[in-house]
Amino acid sequence: MLNILAGIGIAFFGFVLQTSVAGFNRKVTGRIQKRYGPVWYQEFRDIFKLFTKRSVTHGWIFDFGIIMALGGTIGTAMFIPLTTHTLAFAGYDNFFIYVYLIAVGMLGMAMSASGSGNPLASIGVMRALTTMLAYEVPFMIVALTIINLTGTSSLTEIALMQQGQFNWFAIALPLGGIVGFISLMGMLGKKPFETYVAPAEIASGPMVEYGGKQLGMLLVMHELSVFIEVSLFMYLFLGGAESIIMFLIKYVLIYTFANMISSVNGRMKIDQVVLFFYKWPLIMAVTQAVIAIYLGWVI
Amino acid sequence: MASIELLLLFTLAAGVLAFFASKIHKLLGPIVTILASLFVFVSITYFGYNGELDMSVSYLPYVTFGFSYAGLFFAIIVTFIYSMVSFYNPFFAKKYKSPAVYSMFYLFNLVGIIGVFFTNNFLVLFFFFEFLVWTSFFLISFGKSRKAAVSYFGFSSVGGLSLLYAIFIMHNAAGTFNIDAGLAVISGTDATLVFILFMISAFSKLGAFPLHIWLPFAHGNAPHHFSPVLSGALVKLGAFVGVMGLLRIGSSTYFIDAIGLDTAHYIIAILGALTIVFGTLMAIRQDDAKKLLAYSSMSHGGYILVALTLGSSLGIAGGLYHVVAHGLSSAAAFLAIAAVSRQTGTTKMSELGGMIHKMPITYVVYLIAIISMAGIPPMGGFISKWLIFQAVIDQGLIFVAIAVFFGSIGSFLYVFRPLASLFLGQELPKYKDKIKEAPFFMLVPMLIFSVLIIYTGVFPNFFLGFINKIIVEVGVAPITLNNGVIYILNGTLYPTLIASVFGVGAVIALIIFLIFPKSRKVGLMDTYTAAEFIYTEELLHYSNNFYAPLERLYEKYIDIMENFYEGVSKKVNQIGRFFKYYFFSNKPEITVFWIIILIIGLLLGGDLL
Repeated sequence: MLNILAGIGIAFFGFVLQTSVAGFNRKVTGRIQKRYGPVWYQEFRDIFKLFTKRSVTHGWIFDFGIIMALGGTIGTAMFIPLTTHTLAFAGYDNFFIYVYLIAVGMLGMAMSASGSGNPLASIGVMRALTTMLAYEVPFMIVALTIINLTGTSSLTEIALMQQGQFNWFAIALPLGGIVGFISLMGMLGKKPFETYVAPAEIASGPMVEYGGKQLGMLLVMHELSVFIEVSLFMYLFLGGAESIIMFLIKYVLIYTFANMISSVNGRMKIDQVVLFFYKWPLIMAVTQAVIAIYLGWVI
Repeated sequence: MASIELLLLFTLAAGVLAFFASKIHKLLGPIVTILASLFVFVSITYFGYNGELDMSVSYLPYVTFGFSYAGLFFAIIVTFIYSMVSFYNPFFAKKYKSPAVYSMFYLFNLVGIIGVFFTNNFLVLFFFFEFLVWTSFFLISFGKSRKAAVSYFGFSSVGGLSLLYAIFIMHNAAGTFNIDAGLAVISGTDATLVFILFMISAFSKLGAFPLHIWLPFAHGNAPHHFSPVLSGALVKLGAFVGVMGLLRIGSSTYFIDAIGLDTAHYIIAILGALTIVFGTLMAIRQDDAKKLLAYSSMSHGGYILVALTLGSSLGIAGGLYHVVAHGLSSAAAFLAIAAVSRQTGTTKMSELGGMIHKMPITYVVYLIAIISMAGIPPMGGFISKWLIFQAVIDQGLIFVAIAVFFGSIGSFLYVFRPLASLFLGQELPKYKDKIKEAPFFMLVPMLIFSVLIIYTGVFPNFFLGFINKIIVEVGVAPITLNNGVIYILNGTLYPTLIASVFGVGAVIALIIFLIFPKSRKVGLMDTYTAAEFIYTEELLHYSNNFYAPLERLYEKYIDIMENFYEGVSKKVNQIGRFFKYYFFSNKPEITVFWIIILIIGLLLGGDLL
């Protein structure tokens, strides 16, 4: 019971953290584009405004999907370790939980979007799933390498290994680190892989029909999933976090770096995304896996 | 105590009874199938689980039975699926010319299953195997296409005959048809040959690459209420043969140290991986929902193969759990599609839309089934896929892993397709008023499947405990289970915790949803269209060519295997024509030609002598 409360606390912390960091990054993007950008708590304002507005619904599946989406994402966020010793369910932080439990959220959102009856939403969902097919395979191959080397799929134990036996995997497996980061850009839906949102092209894709509290809940879900994905990258490649301060520093750095790359890139077409990921990242991931597992060369 | 022999004879008699009952009233026969298959399932499960099955034989000549946990495991799953799907038989009875024959063969199928899974004699195994193929051949031919049934029969016969050949080799070595003795004695080159023959048999049943052509063809064209059985249960016979071939024949090929597998097993794993990729890519581009699910069955068959080849306790547990998880979810998904097709008359996704508004329960059943198929917690499919992932990672099989991960993410794509274009989206006007939810007795089996899918995902340790007995039976150390937690070499999983945390998350989301202002309900046509005025539902329904951008990348290559088999058949034809021309014709010139050959032969022969 206490663990569950701790988990809820971690999820709430993740939401507050990511929403602030996202606000801060709107400022960063603004400066890159020679604007001032909004205040750092602008994202909070947006979400709270949306929650108080009256909105429309397209039937029960439209609402049910949203609840499933937010529920799945909150559930996944509850498993995230803040530091290698501060986590809600010690010992059960299996890597695959993060990758697959978050998929419940994605499925819920996709379902709700398709349930709205808007073809643009379905196109967005199609693109999101296709992008997922693209970035997930190279990422999982790198994760395979890491789990095979450390002999554990527990996220905190992988982090502890990097603090002791191994270097950070971003350094120990340089090719894998690059692939991991490119895949992270895909997961976060950052340019050049933001084809499934594409505001000017398909009217924000899956989000096209939402307003009011439904959109607010989707934004909360989005912030939480960014929190999960960035933390996952940190634990796999950057040695996790020994203390909460280290967590904050690494978190802000990773997200800001991804955001900065995003703000100077254009958008790829969806088939270009697939071809891109199945060319260089996959080759690099496989090369890295062969070098590390079969030859045993780890820096 | 329940005697397997009496059970078998009972089912046989019930089949004949169903035939004559159908002659009295069309619905009586199907009802007999429900009662008989339920009885068989309950007695096998109850007595089998308590270890009280009687294996003695007193009436049937030559037949012997023997107990094995693997056989019991498969028998329970398969008979369960048969008994659940039989609830559909009365509703489809009117659609076919002779429901009497259908009901009879349905129960004869069960006879074959009992025989295959409980015998300890290879020849009896072969007999029931062929009996099963033969009866299901007639069942499939009740569907849309005779050709599909022929294709099924052809590939299954190849499997059956290679099994027979393997049996004879083992009989030569062991001097007996006993299964345990035969598998234990075989070694050296014989073992490799028997292994290959067993694999051909398993591949042809599982529909694995490259013997997969029949599978989508037969699944897609079989009667709507037979496809669930075909995919959920009958295909699993291949897994049973696979268990024998992969786990019980000692390997004799070169052992590759880096991956901890011998070459033969590694090749099978690669073929399994190809099956996964091929099934996934083909499933993504289907328009017929049944064909889509058929290709997904093929890809899941690949998972079972990959897992079983690893031979570690983790791999076996993953593969066998996948048999349960995929059997349940695939049967449930096929049943849901069958229900839709009964109400609307089509399974083409491009012709359907918005079924959720009229068939919400069917929708929920399909949703739960696909969550499991995609391997998402908290459903059964996640547990098996997790075990398979961990097993593959543990051995460091990089190239197989690419396929395994690709298939897993790819399954999100193809299972979502019917969800989006068949159940969700715009409610098409042609179905708006006429369609109703499926009848109560069709919903019952679907809901039972759903409950079981969730149960296998939340409390997997009951089934895993049973699988552990099989793992011990084939001589590997069991996996560690404790209080709902699965402990394996490189990871720990607590499925109940995942499910409850997801529940907590959903409750929080529900609370957030409820405390904020209520939304106004609007119609589906009331959507953002970028200032276009669109008044027809069809124009706002995105269902044709759903994954067009992705399909474009590989559509050039999809016919490779069909072309290959076509080329083979052409070559066979040519050779046949060659022989026919030179040996079986009554043309004078050929006769003259042979006489010349004969004379030359005699002359040369005389010379040489």
